Amino acid sequence: MTKYIIKRLIGMIPTLFIIVTLSFFIVRIAPGGPFDGERALPEVVKRNIEAKYHLDEPLVVQYGRYLFDVLRGDLGPSYKYKDYDVNTLIAASLPNSIVLGTMAMIVALVFGISLGTLAAVRQNTILDYIPMILAAFGLSIPLFVFAPLLQQIFCMWLGWFPTTGWFMNGASLRTAVLPTIALSFAYYADIARLTRSSMVETLRSDYIRTARAKGMKNSTIVFKHAMKGAMLPIVSYLGPAFAGILTGSIVVEQVFLVPGLGKFFVQSSFNRDYTLIVGVVIVYSVILIVMNFIVDIVYAFLDPRISYK
Amino acid sequence: MAIFKRKDKMVATNEFDQVIVGTSLTKEAWKRLRKNKLAVLGGIIVIIYSLVAIFADFLPLYPYDEAIPDHKNLRPSLTRTAGDLMLEQEMKNLFFQAYRQGRLPVDEEEAAMIEDWVANNKTNDVWDFVYQRGMECIADGTFEWNSSEQRRIDRMLDDIETETQITINEVSVINEDGSRTNIEAMGYEELRDLYASLLGVDLTVLEESLYNEVRAAVSNQLRTNDSTLSGEDLDAAIELEMTGLGDEGIHDRAMTNLIGYIEQLAQRGANSDINAMIREGSMQFPYKGTFDLSNGLHVELEVTKMHERRYIFGTDYLGRDLLSRIIYGSQVSIAVGLIGTVTSILIGILVGSIAGYVGGKVDYYLMRFVDIMYGLPYMLLVIICMAIFGRKITNLYFALAIVSWLTIARMVRGQIMSLKNQEYVEAARSMGVSTFSIIMHHMIPNSLSIIIVYSTIRIPNFIMQESFLSFLGLGVQAPLASWGSLIGDAVSSMALYPYKLIIPSIIMVIFLFSMNFLGDGLRDAFDPQSKNQL
Repeated sequence: MTKYIIKRLIGMIPTLFIIVTLSFFIVRIAPGGPFDGERALPEVVKRNIEAKYHLDEPLVVQYGRYLFDVLRGDLGPSYKYKDYDVNTLIAASLPNSIVLGTMAMIVALVFGISLGTLAAVRQNTILDYIPMILAAFGLSIPLFVFAPLLQQIFCMWLGWFPTTGWFMNGASLRTAVLPTIALSFAYYADIARLTRSSMVETLRSDYIRTARAKGMKNSTIVFKHAMKGAMLPIVSYLGPAFAGILTGSIVVEQVFLVPGLGKFFVQSSFNRDYTLIVGVVIVYSVILIVMNFIVDIVYAFLDPRISYK
Repeated sequence: MAIFKRKDKMVATNEFDQVIVGTSLTKEAWKRLRKNKLAVLGGIIVIIYSLVAIFADFLPLYPYDEAIPDHKNLRPSLTRTAGDLMLEQEMKNLFFQAYRQGRLPVDEEEAAMIEDWVANNKTNDVWDFVYQRGMECIADGTFEWNSSEQRRIDRMLDDIETETQITINEVSVINEDGSRTNIEAMGYEELRDLYASLLGVDLTVLEESLYNEVRAAVSNQLRTNDSTLSGEDLDAAIELEMTGLGDEGIHDRAMTNLIGYIEQLAQRGANSDINAMIREGSMQFPYKGTFDLSNGLHVELEVTKMHERRYIFGTDYLGRDLLSRIIYGSQVSIAVGLIGTVTSILIGILVGSIAGYVGGKVDYYLMRFVDIMYGLPYMLLVIICMAIFGRKITNLYFALAIVSWLTIARMVRGQIMSLKNQEYVEAARSMGVSTFSIIMHHMIPNSLSIIIVYSTIRIPNFIMQESFLSFLGLGVQAPLASWGSLIGDAVSSMALYPYKLIIPSIIMVIFLFSMNFLGDGLRDAFDPQSKNQL
């Protein structure tokens, strides 16, 4: 097992390296730079600024310098937000995004697993149809449609929730409700469908029949025996789900004005704020890779058939 | 020689001499699909959407990029014309002003309610209330417009009554023998000569000005694509582009300009006649007519009352018809879905079949590469690419296609690996068939149906991704629209104009729903074992 974990940890390095390299070069080979604003700077000023940020050096030297800085955990200064470095900007906004994403994930898991199990146990009854119809909606309504509609209905028409503010910045806790629901809906849909189908399959398997034949209580069978087997596809779904929640949070943060990392990311791509773009991509990727890693480990624990070699 | 030689069909019979009709896997699958009512319904809706998108040019729609400033932000209405809605909006504004001046009779409770709405940005409620109250008061005589307000309303009524719009359908030249030649059918030189003679200018002067116009257009285009170009770089880039266009390209562009100029000229020529007819009151709207002009042009045109248009889905913030924008937007969205899917299938088949068939080290490294690509937050990379390389629709296709072949590649690999050890493949190999033709003739056709079915499931994904990018402002660029960009534009003003958000959303969601049902149905029909997987 330890060997497996170490192997996976080492496997993360090339992925990260590719991400840093790819994003570093993509932003730099494109035409235009961070200091090409509306009004052209005098040549001398521009050269001075470029010298300050080492932009006048050959690309390979810049790349080497950047790699070295990243290894030390320094993502460099922001080109557009003067006097800030990328670490500070990310540190200020990342917690908001993480809290939002975690809440959404928890909501999706809790509702998806419980309603999916309910649907599987009470197949072809109303308790099956309602969660599954809800899931069909979740699959077909894109987040960027769902989030504005939620805001329109619950903030504008019904007035139940405030339209602006974020609870971590002192606003009321109610500001967290709609962003969380919006972000979790699509993942609820996937998880509920997955849970239902894998639960249905598991309940048909031999060991469950044996348990039933032994006269076990239905609830014990479902929660103690079937649940563990049925959770495998959901655990392996969590990896892509985390990736989706990361990109999804960009939309939700934009619609509900959450001061998170996602808004920074879109803005900085427009601004060509090189260091900030690459910094945000690195942070996102690290989160994603670590999550995938955890998911794999959990999967290996849950499924004894998987060899750790 | 037997011309009508027919192949004798082998008829299979069972032991009672009854003909056995075999059903192929595909036939069986179609039968299963037809039983799935939701999937059939989804398929029908998808077909309707596609037909509307394909034949959008033949539908009686207003142009999707025609902005009429007077028609900004009109709400959707089936029965009322643009003029009615404009007048209503104007009166709402005037009633609200009157309320502010204290001339509109409201009691204290109502005033408090209005102030509360104003404080909460519920502009629509305020407008509706003052409009309703105002109309009641006008009816029972407790409220009257003052003279300046009355003047504004009268002027607007007058405009609505009289403002016309001329659409040129066809311009042609009357030849000496009385026949006519449509200018659209003329070549560059003919058009140039015609325009020069119409204006009475020298040919060389005209040619030079046409050349400069094309050059200016090229320069503008280059500068919007890359704002950093200037000075010598720009000149060099323009020269390069112009040389690339060649004489033919330049003439093509100049022709478009020339046709526009001649149409303008023709319209100006017909204007006085039309105005005279309107003044006499002899014109019936919508008017269709032809005019022979003194300069030898023959023009067919249509005159409509500008404010008699009906916008069943309303208009956007520039006064463009939302219905038309949604339909033309669906062209973009559906095209992205199809092209993205086809590209990803092609790349996926290529990589997957090589990995699956060749196996060994090639397979190992290709699949590790796919694994690493899976680990990338690829949507972020797409966003960066779009933001930095420009929001061109080709970039969009490219960006989506390069990241979406991974799943297909894995699937094809699995299929090929399971087919590789089949007897017929072995037989082909022992007969010396090349690897390439084994893959092309045996493996891909045999796994194609499943690949296509899974690709159908991916189409909504592409549409969602395209719309997601357009929503962020990174997809298609104005005046082009897609479902995502329409929704993205609407978000900022959704409190005031909720219809702009809701209508495109519903249209898009219906399509995605149908697509998902159809995809699920296809998968269940063609690959019944997968029914319980996501």
